[in-house]
Amino acid sequence: MSDWPDTPSPLTPARRFGAPRAASVPRMETVRLTAPGAGRNSALDRSQGRLLFSAGCFALLFLALALKLADATIIAPKLPKKLPADRVHVPPPPPAGQSASQEPLLHSRRAMITDRNGDILAISLPTAAVYANPHELIDAADAAHKLKGVLPELDEAVVAQRLSSEKQFVYLARQITPRQEMQINALGIPGISFETTERRRYPFGRVAAQVLGGVDVDGHGVAGVELYFEQRLRDDAAPLRLSIDVHVQAVVREELSAAMETFGAIGACGIVMDVRTGEVIALTSLPDYDANLFGQTVEDDRFNRCIKGDYEPGSTFKLQTASMALDNGVVNLWNGFDASAPIHIGRFTINDFEGKHRFLYVPEILAFSSNIGAAKMAQATGGTLQRAWMEKMGMLKRLPVELPEARTPMAPAAANWKEIATLTIGFGHGIAVTPLHVVAGTAAIANGGVYMRPTVLAGDSGVPREGTRVMQQSTSDIMRRLMRLVVTDGYGKAAEVPGYFVGGKTGTAEKISHKGYNRNARVSAFMSVFPMNAPRYAVYMMLDEPHATKATFGYATAGWVSAPAAGKVIARIGPMLGLLPETDNVPAINAQLAQPLQPGRPAGAPAGARQPPPAPVPPPVKPAPPVAAVPRPSMPAATPPAAPAAPRDLRRDADAAGAKLAVR
Amino acid sequence: MSILERRLIRETSFGLTSKLWRISWTLVLLLCALAGVGYAALYSAGGGSPEPYASRHILRFGFGLVLMLSIALVDIRFIARLSWPAYAGAVTLLVLVLRMGHTGKGAQRWIELAGMQWQPSELMKIALVMALASWFHKASWERMGNPLFLIPPALAVALPVALILKEPNLGTAVITATVGAAVFLAAGVRWWKVGLATAGTGLVMPLAYNHLHDYQRARITTFLNPESDPLGAGYNIIQSKIALGSGGMWGKGYLQGTQAHLNFLPEKQTDFIFTMLAEEFGFVGGLALLGLLALIVLSAMSIALRCRHQYGRLLALGIAMNFFLYVFVNVAMVMGAIPVGGVPLPLVSHGGSAMIMVMASFGLLMSVHVHRDVEFSDGRDEV
Repeated sequence: MSDWPDTPSPLTPARRFGAPRAASVPRMETVRLTAPGAGRNSALDRSQGRLLFSAGCFALLFLALALKLADATIIAPKLPKKLPADRVHVPPPPPAGQSASQEPLLHSRRAMITDRNGDILAISLPTAAVYANPHELIDAADAAHKLKGVLPELDEAVVAQRLSSEKQFVYLARQITPRQEMQINALGIPGISFETTERRRYPFGRVAAQVLGGVDVDGHGVAGVELYFEQRLRDDAAPLRLSIDVHVQAVVREELSAAMETFGAIGACGIVMDVRTGEVIALTSLPDYDANLFGQTVEDDRFNRCIKGDYEPGSTFKLQTASMALDNGVVNLWNGFDASAPIHIGRFTINDFEGKHRFLYVPEILAFSSNIGAAKMAQATGGTLQRAWMEKMGMLKRLPVELPEARTPMAPAAANWKEIATLTIGFGHGIAVTPLHVVAGTAAIANGGVYMRPTVLAGDSGVPREGTRVMQQSTSDIMRRLMRLVVTDGYGKAAEVPGYFVGGKTGTAEKISHKGYNRNARVSAFMSVFPMNAPRYAVYMMLDEPHATKATFGYATAGWVSAPAAGKVIARIGPMLGLLPETDNVPAINAQLAQPLQPGRPAGAPAGARQPPPAPVPPPVKPAPPVAAVPRPSMPAATPPAAPAAPRDLRRDADAAGAKLAVR
Repeated sequence: MSILERRLIRETSFGLTSKLWRISWTLVLLLCALAGVGYAALYSAGGGSPEPYASRHILRFGFGLVLMLSIALVDIRFIARLSWPAYAGAVTLLVLVLRMGHTGKGAQRWIELAGMQWQPSELMKIALVMALASWFHKASWERMGNPLFLIPPALAVALPVALILKEPNLGTAVITATVGAAVFLAAGVRWWKVGLATAGTGLVMPLAYNHLHDYQRARITTFLNPESDPLGAGYNIIQSKIALGSGGMWGKGYLQGTQAHLNFLPEKQTDFIFTMLAEEFGFVGGLALLGLLALIVLSAMSIALRCRHQYGRLLALGIAMNFFLYVFVNVAMVMGAIPVGGVPLPLVSHGGSAMIMVMASFGLLMSVHVHRDVEFSDGRDEV
């Protein structure tokens, strides 16, 4: 609208453009010096001064920023106290039998609790309680007035009244500082005495509160390790060193809170475990509470989902099913099951979430998280073997972790372990365990096949912990590749962190309401381990009732909500734990972990009718019996004839025969 | 509009080529340089890859550049007439965001539009500057001395500030109030009133502290002593300071900043991008970036000074102030000098809507410059 190309006016700058610079001076002053124009010019002149003033301020503030930058970078640079590599160095535990008197700073009756690096998580500080014997007082009103001078929070009238009572003993104030104690002493009021007490302080507040628990007003542990180690903390003054790393704990808590907020979840749980030792590096459950204010917390905040919450583990259990089937020689990696049609059993239907509706190889069953495939794998293994497997994976008992809140899983009794249970437990339903159960079981799969009892106590460095071998090393090797496959090709892609070779499994389970499963209330978990080429840490992130957002395209499943959170945690805690991202041998490690979705049968392996297209396949780890022909002796009688249910070597073969699988 | 005014507009309007010639290409170049720094930084933040930040950044900047140049060609008198409607629109959006906005990090600040998340408070700051400039444009020195004349614009500042406080977003509310105050100052409010207002603000501060949210108080206590909460609120600042300190004089080299690349430094692609750059390029690099930012602010100020009408001057000053506050608050924050959070470094940090808003505001600034000499009625001509 303002474009008037050739307006014939001598005043237009267009005309003037090209003229000598002096000719294009502002015209208003020279041309239209009317009365309003003059007023305007005076305003303009004055604003000129103000503008110059502002510009000067800007310049000065930029100079201030530059000076502050010089201060922060070269004059007084702040350097990290500990390099990441040093931080993982575990300090030697204090010599046994160290008594409180040898501690120069602290003479507390309750030992302190530290994390694995010696950062103090709980400490008892000396405080005093003031009391009085009113009979020894001379002037109650005067004493009350003097006390008010030191302890301003006191109500003078109330104190005076108490001091005039007929009792022989009245408390005046609790938990005063040593300085206040000294000042009151200096007042020299007869009849006023002190009682030495302690106050338990948790410097990190909410971080690790669920593990630490808390103490009551008398300083007795009432939850968490404070309760579990009540006697130990009283008898032995040496600090109790937990396996928790408070820095990792803080990161897990932060990322978990962020995910919980993003997806509007009602709760969340995050666990980091050292898969080689079973030590819990971080364990956090949200919502949580400030450990310093345990007495004022509500039950909901104290509920530790990681160890007290029994949830159906959902698809994260498919790792167990696959390990079990592989380790018992029920299937080989190059076998598979027909997943083209839902399984109908009793009044239930087992179906896949976004199913492929075709034959699926074992790697595909995990990568695409096929319920049908996992159920059939469990069925092929049989209920007896499955129950034995769950038993040795610790899934049927309360975990012997040093936390009093740990809860017993809910699983069918041996007599009730029917076929339907076998099928559903195959994909993590019909059984409810705590998240820590899942983590401990997965750690055993990833670490070479040794089940380590989970613990929150730091082990002595150099002393290996005893574990129980639960599967062959070779099974664990296959499972590592399969877990990696879930992240490279399956539903766990969002958890990938370059250089850390993350592996894992998603798990989304609908929660049970009073009318069966609730489709809109789910528990979305991601169970991951990194780095898959040499597993060190298991990271579990679970959101309770997350809601989909636009960014997740309406999905609230684990791959969308929990896997990204796990990836963020891994990216941040890896360096903290001294694991730097691998950048040099990436192709070699990728090749080592490579796992085709549809592996071909290696030469010499039991034959099927036709050979699938050749693919680079790791050598077979064990001579597997021709599974289709061998009925498992342990199979319950209810199992259908082995032939149709048995794993298939070939897709076409299976397409033809597998559809006949009749479970009913 | 009177016939006289209509004629004036026509006579003082000029052609497209001359408009293009009048654009401050120096400033355009400086902005491109800043966006280039942003590209390099986001390339590094993406782990040495244009994905996921850098390529999108440069795409958005390209869009912003076109937007800026388009706005630059719009007649400033037309823009001036849009001032109050823009103000009304921004206030409406602020009310809408309070009612139905997306809640993020405990506050309702965002509104979804055109596939992007917008903070109406960003739009509000510019609209407020436009409205104030339009009000003071008519003001003679004598009228500026009349307190009654100052009440309507003061209310125009107070309304959006109150709405933003209600979100709650203390940082942006303070910034909005500061931008408004700067326009008042430049318009020629008497110094004693400025002094009185400053003193009044100083007195209200301690009272306001009692009404802060817990997280805001935590931010202030953490600012005073970051070590008091080394794993919580103080973590970011401590890590940022370590990154700055480890950069030293010359830095660790491009893509070599371990604090940032090993994820010790949080939000390195947004709030803490200055830290990441200073870790990799050291004091020298940080100083160079500060110099570039200072040049941009000062060229904006020179545009304000060269403008021959009050509306353009005040608008240019307000825009310069807004840009400066982004920079100052962000840089001071990452160095632990002031206690705020969530302010990006304009044209460098990752983030779409903030960049578009900054580029749009520079478009207004350019329009001021292009139309710096136009005959611009101050309203009294009509009488």
